[in-house]
Amino acid sequence: MATLKLTNVKKVYGKDTVAVDNFNLDIADKEFIVFVGPSGCGKSTTLRMIAGLEDISGGTIEIDGVVVNDLQPRDRNIAMVFQNYALYPHLTVFENMAFSLRLKKAPQDEVYEKVTKAAEILGITEYLTRKPRALSGGQRQRVAIGRAMVRDSKVFLMDEPLSNLDAKLRNQMRAEIILLRQKIDTTFIYVTHDQTEAMTLGDRIVIMKDGFIQQVGTPTEVFDMPINLFVAEFIGAPKMNTFKTNLVCENGNYYVTPYGAKIAVTGKKAEMLKEKGVGSGEVILGVRPEHFVLSNSANPGAIPCKIVVNEMMGSELHLHVVEENGDRLIVRIPTVSLEDEQRKALVYGSTIYVTFEGKVMHFFDPETQKNLLV
Amino acid sequence: MKNNQKKLKRKSMGAKAKRRLSNTIIYIILVIMTVVWLFPFVGIVLESFKTETKMQTGYLFPREFGFTHYERLFKETDFLLWFKNTAIMGIATAFLQTFFILSMSYTLSRLRFKGRKFLMNFMLILGMFPGFLTMILIYKVFADFGLIMEMAPLGLIIVYCASSGMGYYVSKGFFDTIPKSLDEAARVDGATRWQVFYKVIMPLSKPIVIYTILMGFMAPWGDFMLASYLIHENSEGMSVAVGMFEWLSATNLNTNYTMFCAAGVIVAIPVVTVFLLLQKYYVEGVTGGAVKG
Repeated sequence: MATLKLTNVKKVYGKDTVAVDNFNLDIADKEFIVFVGPSGCGKSTTLRMIAGLEDISGGTIEIDGVVVNDLQPRDRNIAMVFQNYALYPHLTVFENMAFSLRLKKAPQDEVYEKVTKAAEILGITEYLTRKPRALSGGQRQRVAIGRAMVRDSKVFLMDEPLSNLDAKLRNQMRAEIILLRQKIDTTFIYVTHDQTEAMTLGDRIVIMKDGFIQQVGTPTEVFDMPINLFVAEFIGAPKMNTFKTNLVCENGNYYVTPYGAKIAVTGKKAEMLKEKGVGSGEVILGVRPEHFVLSNSANPGAIPCKIVVNEMMGSELHLHVVEENGDRLIVRIPTVSLEDEQRKALVYGSTIYVTFEGKVMHFFDPETQKNLLV
Repeated sequence: MKNNQKKLKRKSMGAKAKRRLSNTIIYIILVIMTVVWLFPFVGIVLESFKTETKMQTGYLFPREFGFTHYERLFKETDFLLWFKNTAIMGIATAFLQTFFILSMSYTLSRLRFKGRKFLMNFMLILGMFPGFLTMILIYKVFADFGLIMEMAPLGLIIVYCASSGMGYYVSKGFFDTIPKSLDEAARVDGATRWQVFYKVIMPLSKPIVIYTILMGFMAPWGDFMLASYLIHENSEGMSVAVGMFEWLSATNLNTNYTMFCAAGVIVAIPVVTVFLLLQKYYVEGVTGGAVKG
């Protein structure tokens, strides 16, 4: 259990390759923080700097108020789970988990007690005498987590721990990490490129791009109020639809005119636009796929488009459609809301009309790409 | 349809016959190569048991089989002393050289420091120069320090080990294949660099450790050039290679040839024994299961 404070942390490789820059973050005790972003955004580098596996080019990292910049990994009292498990192949599962305790010369009773307890929590007691090569991917990942658990460390670091597992196992392990978190109640920093993992696991999410933090917030905050276009498109699956359109302000009422349709901005969004004093002009409009609804041609807010891909996901239908100008949109429709006849009509090449409500829109500045409402 | 099937059948039978023929040819070539390769070894062993002669003969199998040449070896010569000297050199070199090479390779594989690339290239180029270029200088320096003649074994151990770190390539290549995340995991778990090296990397590197030990152990048994230079004319510090070479001089050859063969057989014993003892560890695949494969 510990607090972390990262101040102006910077990492430069070679002479001028900046991997992380101006990274400022306060992590509270027992908080579960997720670093998320595309490949090469610097999330793993930041984690490795916290672990002490990478030198820090600038700034400071504090754990419980102590600057750890120049401390060796072994002196930072952290535990880490690696993407590729990094189990010691010559040692049994028991000895893998006991490795850190043996280095500390812990008494045999303590080693036995801690390892068996962790193994019990993770459900790997029956594998304690096996070598890592005799385990499946999921079991190996559990051992890696167990090895980190027995250390009672201040901070628990996880570097894409689920990315090597197949989809089904990944879902299962994700749920187990949530349960694990309740059991070992410590400060977690979790790195992933998978926004679903970030949304489901994190108390707060740190979204990164090109070495810079884009937004820090709770899953709801970053989903409902993305700070810029990048965050808007990165969080949420399938990604948010974005297209240029005109925002028109008439007599204090706002509406947008995407692809010839006319849709009024309503609810909180309209109030916020008014508060911010946003005038008429071109904006990038963002609408999440699940906020689109099927419409009929008579509706003035209906956008006509052609289906190019129809992905049946079981509980929902993902329709990739092309609007008359050639813009591609993704529409997500719950199958439960569709009659059989309707569903059969949603095939490649057929024309459909879609629309969305005024309260679900996101507005971004076409130049700065920042959210106009933040 | 039926025609096609027949054709296919004929074709597959043809392929079978072809494979059998090519296998036969390959095995014949391999057998010939084995005989050619084994002949000198078998020849030396048989030669050493020929009690009827002391010189080279024109036939292979002994007419009178016995151990007289082995007896002579231990009773009439200082062979035992030479053997002891060489064995000491072999064991010392094996351990020291292994330590130096593995430390060097691990350092070059894992640590990043200024001049690392330059150092590696420099050593690679330096290693291309034949060792005997430095022999005169080595002799002069060692003569000043008293590391020649009876002290030559110590001098030779120093020479064998001093530049051994330059032979880092093979083991560095091996260390490079061990995932770095294992080192990192161990460091996070509380290990120092040294503990990472001997608790994690060494157990995973058995094949390369064994290879390095074997190479170090074998070097002194076969080194003649440098050894004869440092030892010259003194039998106290004599090694087997230098000592035995004396027996092959024009004046000694006719009385010592079979004894030379007997000595050759005895010299082979420790090398073969060490190899047989260690070869069971000389297997790969110990890193299975470490990381996602």
